[in-house]
Amino acid sequence: MYNEDQKTAFHFSPELDRAFLQELYSDDLQQAEMVFESSVQQLRAEQQLAEARFHDGDLTGLKKVIHKMKPLLGYIGMNKFMEEFALFEQVCLQSISPADAEKGFLHVQSLTAEAIQKAEKEMNRLKHHNTQYL
Amino acid sequence: MKFQSIIVEDLQVAAEFLKRFCEKCGMVDVVHHFLNAEDAMQFLKDNVVDLIFLDVEMPGASGFELLDHLVYTPQVILTTSKTEYAYDAFQYNVTDYLKKPFTYQRFLEAVQKVSKKTEQQNGGGELDHMFIKTDGKLIRLHNDDILFIESMGDYVKFITSAKKYITHNTIKNLETKVNPQVFMKVHRSYIVNFTKINDIQENVLFINGNMIPISKTHKSGVMQKINIL
Repeated sequence: MYNEDQKTAFHFSPELDRAFLQELYSDDLQQAEMVFESSVQQLRAEQQLAEARFHDGDLTGLKKVIHKMKPLLGYIGMNKFMEEFALFEQVCLQSISPADAEKGFLHVQSLTAEAIQKAEKEMNRLKHHNTQYL
Repeated sequence: MKFQSIIVEDLQVAAEFLKRFCEKCGMVDVVHHFLNAEDAMQFLKDNVVDLIFLDVEMPGASGFELLDHLVYTPQVILTTSKTEYAYDAFQYNVTDYLKKPFTYQRFLEAVQKVSKKTEQQNGGGELDHMFIKTDGKLIRLHNDDILFIESMGDYVKFITSAKKYITHNTIKNLETKVNPQVFMKVHRSYIVNFTKINDIQENVLFINGNMIPISKTHKSGVMQKINIL
């Protein structure tokens, strides 16, 4: 990404879907910072909710939470994770008991933790860039 | 023309994105954002919009349930993170289907479809009807049925040859909404369908026996509009 006024480029981290993020945010790095920040906050909140739903054995509720988390991963350039979440939604639909979904649930929880960590790192990079150049 | 829209979306980030895109494109005004379908349904009982950006899966009623409750048909752009709703989208005749997250380019394509569909619905030209809310219902009035519209303070009266309808609105607001090829403001309290004018005498015009004043400001506009041989 390129800031015309400051002649300073910002490149999203290669561990994220760079091309998509550049298309999504264009030159609007403030928007990107804001979205990364609120996505991290919301992912944290949903992560706790997912945990609660799973432990209550509420697979329908869990599916809804996963469904809500899915696009958040897209906004922070983790499209591969989105696909995994979509698969887990199906698992929630097909599972009869929480035990059937446990393996998948642990997997999405670990993906969520990884997503939050990466998004936080990117958010800090964006904050630093925006404070310095915008 | 700017489309008046609402966003029905439980994901705040997605709604903020949409608002930003609407602002950027300059073709869509977002009049409200609702976090659930129920609140949007309540709003739509009393308000008319051109376009709804609608999420499908939300807490409570789904986006499709909202569509089932509508008494008129604004255009709808579904915004969802699933592709599985394509068949339902087709069944509900939605204008477009955006998979979240979507880019500005993709958003623009959707808005252009809305614009194109609006043109088609209006026969490639201007609106041939309007909806007004009266007695708790939204009623379609064809332009050709309306003789004139009269101000009554915070209300206006639509006069047709068969009936009068009173609705909460103002002449000032309606002036920008009605089809200018059919209607014109002739006085601060009157908009007339000028295809219905029977005769004009000085500063007064007559439609079906109703006498309507023409203000000094609007007199030349009226004279330009009518076909004097």
